[in-house]
Amino acid sequence: MIALSNISKSFGRNQVLQDISLNVNRGEVVVILGPSGSGKTTLLRCVNYLEKPGSGQIAVGDFHVDCSRARRGDILQLRRKTAMVFQQYNLFRHKTALENVMEALLVVKKLPAAEARKRSIALLEKVGLGAKLNEYPSRLSGGQQQRVGIARALALEPEVILFDEPTSALDPELVGEVLEVIRAIAREGITMIVVTHEMGFARDVANRVVFMDGGVIVEEGTPDEVFQHPKEERTKQFLRRITPEANYSI
Amino acid sequence: MQLDPSFIWTAFWQLLGAIPTTLSITAVSVLAGFVIGAVTAMLRMYRAPVLAQIASAYVTFIRGTPMLTHLLIIYFGLPMIIDGLAEHFGWSFRSVSIPMIGFAYISFSITAGAYMSEVVRAGILAVDRGQVEAAQSVGMTTFQSLRRIVFPQALAAALPNLANSVIGMLHGSTLAFAVSVVDINAKAQIVASTNWKFFEAYLAAALIFWGLTVLIERVAALIEKRVGAYNRGGVA
Repeated sequence: MIALSNISKSFGRNQVLQDISLNVNRGEVVVILGPSGSGKTTLLRCVNYLEKPGSGQIAVGDFHVDCSRARRGDILQLRRKTAMVFQQYNLFRHKTALENVMEALLVVKKLPAAEARKRSIALLEKVGLGAKLNEYPSRLSGGQQQRVGIARALALEPEVILFDEPTSALDPELVGEVLEVIRAIAREGITMIVVTHEMGFARDVANRVVFMDGGVIVEEGTPDEVFQHPKEERTKQFLRRITPEANYSI
Repeated sequence: MQLDPSFIWTAFWQLLGAIPTTLSITAVSVLAGFVIGAVTAMLRMYRAPVLAQIASAYVTFIRGTPMLTHLLIIYFGLPMIIDGLAEHFGWSFRSVSIPMIGFAYISFSITAGAYMSEVVRAGILAVDRGQVEAAQSVGMTTFQSLRRIVFPQALAAALPNLANSVIGMLHGSTLAFAVSVVDINAKAQIVASTNWKFFEAYLAAALIFWGLTVLIERVAALIEKRVGAYNRGGVA
């Protein structure tokens, strides 16, 4: 369904991704964990070409691109099949919640305004913002902004949604509402790749957990395998550092 | 020598006739300058090969030299170029048929373009990179993201500086007297030349300029309020 093969990426002389391959099945929720600088965000950004991979292949659905000779048209196609939810929300600040969701439907999918509007309203209601359609981002809380971001990502009905630390910029009391929305979407069977530090969320929602460090995938498996019975020493070290003792022994 | 208040009033009425000249020079130089400035800024920001260097050279040369010098260079240089070309290609057009105000239009547009390229650039830089990435991530092309996401916000961010540029060009347009264009200021000199009441005449000119400036400020504030409505948030 989504196949990343031999993805490599360097920033100058610093190699951030080393020959990474990862397959994600339809409807699967894959959570990527790892210390900062491990390349997890870069990998995610490579999937919709916000970072240009140095080499490797990306396949999404029936679309396939070789990164070493991707043309502009390939990149646009790839981006239309994927969607990203950003750590800093990145809403269009001069557009209302409704306009933010409608934008891609109007401009990219070229839907008639009435149709785009109807679908966008439905999506905003789904993320619990039916009452905030005409508010600008500056008048929404972080949690509300991120939920608009999720509705915007859903609008194009992408084959996969990429979440880049979607709750890291939120006040602690707002994290729950956003995770709840992501959980609900996951239950609908939408394919997701999520970079997050929310261990509880990873344990509940992920079908598979991937642990990255130093630009490679160190270990992957079900949440139970990775969290309870990590095989690699680096994984164990990482989990010890971020998981409170009490949770770790469950 | 005594102040003659009634002549301020007399001069004021006579100067009103020169307002269209002043405003047309301002409007042309601001509008053409905005287009030139936008193109220049884009060339520099997107590092267009060769063109970006030319754009940078243009900005530094024009900002590094006085506006009056631009006008004089255009006034004396342009006819030579035009007549040279006309002779070479056998056109019937000659530079004498260019109206004086034409030189002011051309030269002040070039001046305004250099200053406005910096205004436009600052406006575009004010739009955070994340929004461009968001536009790209939903499959918008570079042009679509510029037109629909970046430019509207860049314009809102640039408005205060743009208003400043308009006021700068309004006041700068007085230099057109150097090529015999009769703007408000030049008219004041003419009006006073019969009775030597220059002080009263220039005072009247100052009042008109002040009034026009206040008008521009008001209009700018109105536009700013409309265009920047999305920025007035309550919650962080």
